[in-house]
Amino acid sequence: MRIAVVGKGGAGKTTVAATLARTLARGGRSVIALDGDTNANLGISLGLGVDTTDALVSLREQLDTGETEHARDLHELLLRFGAEAPDGVRLGVPLRIENAQPGCPCCGISVEQLLGSVPTGDHLVIADLEAGIGTMTRLQAGSLEAVLVVTEPTATSIEVGARAAALAADKGVPQVLIVANRIGEPGDLDRVRAGLGAVEGVRHDVVEVPDDPAIRAADREGVAPLDHAPDSPGVRALIGLADRVAGVPA
Amino acid sequence: MSEGARLRLAFVGKGGSGKSFVVGTLARLLARRGEPVLVLDSDPMPGLVRTLGMSLEESGLPGELVEEDPDEPRSWRLAAGADGVEVVEQHARRGPDDVRLVQLGKLRGPASDLGLSHRSYHALVDDLTRRDALPWHVIGDLPGGTRQAFLRWGRFATRYLVVAEPTGAGVLTARRLGRVTDTPGAVQVVANKVRGPDDTELIARQVGTPVVGSVPWDDDVAAAARAGTAPVDRTPVGTAVDAVGSLAERLLEDL
Repeated sequence: MRIAVVGKGGAGKTTVAATLARTLARGGRSVIALDGDTNANLGISLGLGVDTTDALVSLREQLDTGETEHARDLHELLLRFGAEAPDGVRLGVPLRIENAQPGCPCCGISVEQLLGSVPTGDHLVIADLEAGIGTMTRLQAGSLEAVLVVTEPTATSIEVGARAAALAADKGVPQVLIVANRIGEPGDLDRVRAGLGAVEGVRHDVVEVPDDPAIRAADREGVAPLDHAPDSPGVRALIGLADRVAGVPA
Repeated sequence: MSEGARLRLAFVGKGGSGKSFVVGTLARLLARRGEPVLVLDSDPMPGLVRTLGMSLEESGLPGELVEEDPDEPRSWRLAAGADGVEVVEQHARRGPDDVRLVQLGKLRGPASDLGLSHRSYHALVDDLTRRDALPWHVIGDLPGGTRQAFLRWGRFATRYLVVAEPTGAGVLTARRLGRVTDTPGAVQVVANKVRGPDDTELIARQVGTPVVGSVPWDDDVAAAARAGTAPVDRTPVGTAVDAVGSLAERLLEDL
């Protein structure tokens, strides 16, 4: 099963993707978390820490300069350009490099191509995509089983979220789930529903994640919210996402 | 500040760090002081138009402004005889306080629509980059993140300002941005969404780059973001807008 997490920069994609990945892994699934953002921070939200996360980016830079070898397939990419995160989540960082070799599975294909073409077996793949809708526009139909559109209750975030949801629906993604993140003021949820509810083809599934100072504190420390404050309302809502998504046949 | 000296700033930062708020507010505050200001918006995310207090209408530059460079195929330049300053005066949108805005198109439709608008934008930036003297301060909003290709869109600038939130990811992004710019000495940090003195200190220490401004978390800015309105147009403006005002003073003094 392949899940993509999309949204405007800052909406909370990475936090959603990481917490969902670890929760599904705790539930017994074999989970691969792909960091599709050129500004790769998924490792931080997974609980690997800032330094380890930065080291994975440096490793890709070494690939660029020829100091390290290319991987021959997804399995090797995950081994060499990735790390084992808490709860057994396997993080892969296929970060785009300047000197890419066309067709090379570890550097020459885009994340959307990776999702569309690489056999994932029994694994559940969660891809934290580049902020915005660029990747969604390039996605092939049939590449994903679910898209999570993460949006804050701001005008701009909702605008991007609506575009992303519409694209996912156009591509025929079976499940499009709206994650209304940082809901804190009266009217916030209504604003998100109004902005995204009108999108044709979207099943209007909206999950509310409350604004949570504990998640902010975790972000400040550069640690996983799931580790920092597992019982906090925002984190509990993110954990609850797993039940919403896991219902789709793998 | 010597007469005629102009700011040439490119703002970078992690997505969601508040670049659009800082850029739009800074532009409006400078313009309110009577300074001529040009904003270059190359961020595919919508946001800056709202913080400038302008409407959402599309306004990429006309494709006819450019021609293929005969010496460099597939490279575009302003059509013969076109002058970058005149292009701005004729084609830039005008907003409140007479801010001039030139936008790279937003990714609202098929990517192919952006092609012509991109070429015109790049050709204009190339032209302005070559000029030592410009009639306006130029402030650019670059795409969020650390992609080097996007950083080249900031080549008109003499200084890169990194907007950084007090988070692990924000600080890491700021460090990465400091590494990839061509002129590391010209990078400074604007700490944003600061909730206490510790936050600015954390950013300064962990990014290791001089902090030129500190903007507090402000519920008024959050409210404006929800509504899609410009924080600078609220009455009273609030502490974050005031802090951007102090940043404006500091940047002009440093000129």
